[in-house]
Amino acid sequence: MSKIIVQDLTMQFDQFVAVNKVSFEVQQGEFVTLLGPSGCGKTTLLKMISGFLTPTQGRIHIGGKDVTRTPPEDRDTALCFQSYALFPHMTVRGNLEFGLRQQRTPAGDRKARVSQIAVQLSLEQQLGKLPNALSGGQQQRVALGRALSMQPGVILFDEPLSNLDAKLRDQVRFEIKRIQHENALTAVYVTHDQSEALALSDRVIVMRDGQIEQIATPEDLYHTPATSFVADFIGNANVMPAEVIGEADGGGWILDSKIGQLISRDPRDPQAKKINIAWRPELAHVTPEGPLSGTVVSRAFQGNFTDLHVVTQGQSYRLQVPHSDVSVGDEVAFGLDAKDVLMLEPSR
Amino acid sequence: MTQAKINSFLMGVLLAICTIWLLVPFTMAILWSLVDPAQPWTPDHLLPPQMSTYRWTNMWENSALKPALLNSYTLAPITAIVTLLLAMPTSYCLARVPFPGREVAKLLVLLPLVVPGFVTAIFFTAILFQLGLTQSRFLAILIAHCVLFLPYAIRTLTVGFEQVRQDHIDAARDLGASPIARFRAAYLPALRPSIFASLLIVFIQSIEEFAIAFIVGSPDFTTVPTLLFSRLGQDFIRPDAAVLSLILVVPNVILMLFLEALLKSANPTLSSGKG
Repeated sequence: MSKIIVQDLTMQFDQFVAVNKVSFEVQQGEFVTLLGPSGCGKTTLLKMISGFLTPTQGRIHIGGKDVTRTPPEDRDTALCFQSYALFPHMTVRGNLEFGLRQQRTPAGDRKARVSQIAVQLSLEQQLGKLPNALSGGQQQRVALGRALSMQPGVILFDEPLSNLDAKLRDQVRFEIKRIQHENALTAVYVTHDQSEALALSDRVIVMRDGQIEQIATPEDLYHTPATSFVADFIGNANVMPAEVIGEADGGGWILDSKIGQLISRDPRDPQAKKINIAWRPELAHVTPEGPLSGTVVSRAFQGNFTDLHVVTQGQSYRLQVPHSDVSVGDEVAFGLDAKDVLMLEPSR
Repeated sequence: MTQAKINSFLMGVLLAICTIWLLVPFTMAILWSLVDPAQPWTPDHLLPPQMSTYRWTNMWENSALKPALLNSYTLAPITAIVTLLLAMPTSYCLARVPFPGREVAKLLVLLPLVVPGFVTAIFFTAILFQLGLTQSRFLAILIAHCVLFLPYAIRTLTVGFEQVRQDHIDAARDLGASPIARFRAAYLPALRPSIFASLLIVFIQSIEEFAIAFIVGSPDFTTVPTLLFSRLGQDFIRPDAAVLSLILVVPNVILMLFLEALLKSANPTLSSGKG
C-alpha cells in the first residue's frame, strides 16, 4: 500500500543546504507531522515528497515505487495548499471534480464521488457557489475535499490551518483527523505549531536546520525530548546547564545547577559530566516547603494558571502556578520530582 | 478648505477639462461632416446653415473608402492575433522564467517604441522590399505591423503572466492536469484581461497606423489612415476629412469603452485575496 520511504534526502539551493540527508518512513495509514521553526526545511521536504522539487540526492519511495523523479501529476499524492489554491473561476463542484476530470472519470462516478465528499465535509449547500463566496473554513474544506476526491494513497498538508482564526483552527483540526482516520489515509502534515502537531499526529518529526532532531510519538516527544531544542520547542521547557556530581542513593543522578541541587531519574544515562537539563514549568510543585526557590520578576495571569518568570542566581526560568496570589518581587519555593528532571545533550 | 473639498474641486475641474477636451473636437468633427456643399459653413454662423448627410453618402459612393475599410479591418484583426501569438512565449519567459538580465530584457523589449514611427517605417520598408515582399503589399504591411506593435503585446501579456498564481499551477499539476488543462485552469483565467487588452491595443494601433501603410501601400493599396492623410494633403476638403476621421476614430472609442468594461469585470479574486 502507500508507505512512504525517504532515504538520505538532500536538497541544496546554490550554497544553501535546505534539507540535509534526511531519512524516515511513514507507514500505511499513519499520520506524521513535520514540525519545526520556519526555515528548518520542512516545506522543502514536503515539496520533494509531492514532486514539485527534485532532490539533489537521495530517494523517495511511495507505495513501493521509486518516485524520486516522478512529476507531481503522475504521483499518487494530493497536496492541501496553505493558500488553498482553489480555482476562483470554478464553482465548488468544479473544484471538487477537477482532478476526476483529469483522470477522465465517467460523469456518473464523478457525480457520486463529489456528492460523497460534499456530505463528508458538509459542503452540500455550497456546491454551486464560487470559492470567494465561502468563508475561510469552508474554503479550507473544499481544498481538503479536492485533494480527497482523487482518493490518493498519500495526502500532504502544507500548514493548512495557518489562515484560519484560533477557534476555527481547533474545529478543522479535528475534522482533518477524522477524515484521515475514516479514509485510512497516509498523511504527512507540515506545521510550525506544536499544539497542532501534538493533537493530530501518530508520530512527529522535529526538524531543525535541514536535519531531523527527533522522531517520536507526541507523548514521547513531550515527556522524553532528545535534545534541549526539542524540549524547548515542544511546550516550553526550562533548559539550563548542570553538572553531574554522582549517583544518588536509590537510583538516579545528583546534579548541580544554578537553581540548586537536583536529582534526576531520567532512565537515560548522562552523556557527559556537563550536560543540559530540562524540566516543565507546569510540573514544579510550588509549596512553602519546596527545597528550591527564586524571585519572581514578572507574572502573566492566564486564567487557569499564572505564568511566572523567576530568577535564581542569574538563571531565569518559568514556573506555572494554579493560583494567582503571587506578585512581582515575591520569593517562591518549589520542588521538582526526580522523574521530571531530564538529562539531555552535553552543554557547551 | 478641507482636503476632501480640495480633492473634489480638483476632480470636478479635471472632469470638466476632459469633457471639453473630448466633446469639442467630436462635436466639431460631427458638425463639419454634416455641412451641405450647397451652403458653406462660414465663421459668422454658430452651426452649419444647412445640414445633410451628403458628404457621407458621397464619400461612401465616390472614393476608395470601401476598399480602404476592407483593408484596414482585415489587416487589424489578423495583426492583433498574430502579434498575440508571437508575444505569448516571450511574455511567458519574461514573467515566469528566471534568467540573468531579465529586468534588462523587459526594458529592451520596449525600446522600439522610442523610435519615431516614420524613421522605423522608412528603413523597415527598405528591408521588406529587399526581402522581395513587393508582391503582396498586404502581407508586407501585416509583417511590419506585427513587428512594430509586438512591444505593446509583450508588455501587456508579461503583466498578465505575472498575475498567474504559482499555487494554482501547482494545484492543477498535483491533481494530474496535462499542460493544456493546466493552461486552461490556472493561466487562462488570470491571463484573459491582458489577452483582450493586447488584442485591442494592437488592433487600434494597426487601424491607425499611417507611416508604413503609406510607404508600402502607395499608390493603390489604401487603408483608412492613408486615405485620410491623402485627403488632408491635396485638394483639402474639410467636411470630407471630418467624415474620414470619424470613421477612423469612432470604432476605436467604442472598442476602448468595451476594453475598459472588460478589464473592470475581470474577476478580482484572481489578482487579490483568497480563492
